[in-house]
Amino acid sequence: MKRKRIEVKLALPVVAPLLDVIKEMADGLGQQLAAPLAVADLDAEFHDAWVGELVGAQSADVQRLLALFDDEFFRDGVVAFDEDNAECILRACAAIRLRLREHHLKSVADETLETGEVDMMALEEPKRRAFMCYLFLATVQELIIQHLDASILDS
Amino acid sequence: MPQNRTHTSPETQSATELRLGDVWRVVVLNDPVNLMSYVVLVFKKVFAFDESTARKHMLEVHELGRSVVWSGLREKAEAYVFTLQQWHLTAVLEPDEAQAH
Repeated sequence: MKRKRIEVKLALPVVAPLLDVIKEMADGLGQQLAAPLAVADLDAEFHDAWVGELVGAQSADVQRLLALFDDEFFRDGVVAFDEDNAECILRACAAIRLRLREHHLKSVADETLETGEVDMMALEEPKRRAFMCYLFLATVQELIIQHLDASILDS
Repeated sequence: MPQNRTHTSPETQSATELRLGDVWRVVVLNDPVNLMSYVVLVFKKVFAFDESTARKHMLEVHELGRSVVWSGLREKAEAYVFTLQQWHLTAVLEPDEAQAH
């Protein structure tokens, strides 16, 4: 059976400046979880083992996201999603968006962030670029969910 | 996946067995970042919910700040929390007092 694959042509002048922000957030995540573990009563050894595994998985996902923006992308402006990378990219986008919220968008109210009704022109750099990045990654997630939902659920 | 609890010392074994035998709830907490469609997808993927069940839980999280998405034995509840964390959803475990032995 032919595998479903979507290719998205991005506007290089718009997306390229956002990649530095994504890279910065990816580097900042390092050994930290984007969504800190909230379970209170795990024993210490178990907790550390979980965090280790989760950080490893998070890091692998983020690397898959960064790998989309390779030399070919800078030549053609095209990124491709399929059943092999869809889950990783979805999770990586979530991780980077959580990190953006924590580091650049903390002052934006939860409600404003949820509705996305932010006056971009009222934001100053670097917050404006961070918010553009936040929206860009949400768009990537929406595209994947819209077109590869079935592939993800079947995998 | 989470590691199995294979190194329980004898003195803590009975307490652990009691805890593992109790019923626990997996509760997903709201965050302002993850998309509604993403949360629905994760619920469908992790719990094999149908679309309407997944949406119901997502809306509970969104509107009430939390939703109990599963309840059962501790070990499996932990595995679900771990998987939800892999998807960057914040989840906690709570004892299910109503179903306690």
